[in-house]
Amino acid sequence: MNAGFERRLLAVWLALAAITLAQLFVGSLDEPDALRPNAALGASAIALALVKVRIIMREFMEVRHAPALLCRLSDLWLALAGAVLLGCYLVGTA
Amino acid sequence: MTDAAQARPRARFVPGQPDMWAFVLFEALVFTAYFAVYVVARTRSPELFLQSQAHLDLRVGVFHTLVLLASSWSVARCVQAARERSYRAALANAWLTMLFGFVFLVSKVIEWAGKIREGFGFTHDEFFSFYYFLTALHFLHLLIGFGVLAIAVHQLWSPARRSQQAIETCATYWHTVDFLWVLIFALLYVMR
Repeated sequence: MNAGFERRLLAVWLALAAITLAQLFVGSLDEPDALRPNAALGASAIALALVKVRIIMREFMEVRHAPALLCRLSDLWLALAGAVLLGCYLVGTA
Repeated sequence: MTDAAQARPRARFVPGQPDMWAFVLFEALVFTAYFAVYVVARTRSPELFLQSQAHLDLRVGVFHTLVLLASSWSVARCVQAARERSYRAALANAWLTMLFGFVFLVSKVIEWAGKIREGFGFTHDEFFSFYYFLTALHFLHLLIGFGVLAIAVHQLWSPARRSQQAIETCATYWHTVDFLWVLIFALLYVMR
């Protein structure tokens, strides 16, 4: 297999794994049984997840090589998901 | 591939069948609606959700995520190997993807069984209703994913059947199972 492409795929997986472990760290910042929402931790959990999804789409699903329409549609959905989830969360916890 | 061929800019292409991408975007929108309902419910009863969430093991969620991310990595390698006509490597990566999927499946069933044994069933409270609904819906997509991967293996098995577009289509579906889990993990296990 093309060594350059293989290295890139491995680097992408490592980056995604690093973000996941960062989420473990973020999730452990608060007391596990803390009974109050933490807007900063909640919003960062959603934001990091959306970053990971974009990396999966761009790199593993090869959207970066796709026609502009598919790039825009995938980014449009990500923007919509981000606005809806962060909007509902931040408005609800305000 | 020669250095000159690698250096040439690649023409833009849709990986797999465009119909699969329409399905992926549709599924993404449907799940976004489910996630929004969950987030709204969560903000209405934050204490209840946080209390119930504390019964989930974040490390198990991280393990599930790393396993599914590894399955996405291996199916991406499968596509690339098939593109380079290294069909033996492509087949090995398709089997590896199934193995990662199977590890996720077994681990998820063990987690469900443990929660039910501890008394946190579907009707325990609103959080666990969402937990079982979202994870079971994702599980259903995972089961379909095994069928889709079987199609990829079937394609790669015989030189008479090998269709690069079909293999890319199967991989696109599998990646969708992965990125939907990434969002479910954040909402159920990490969010505060």
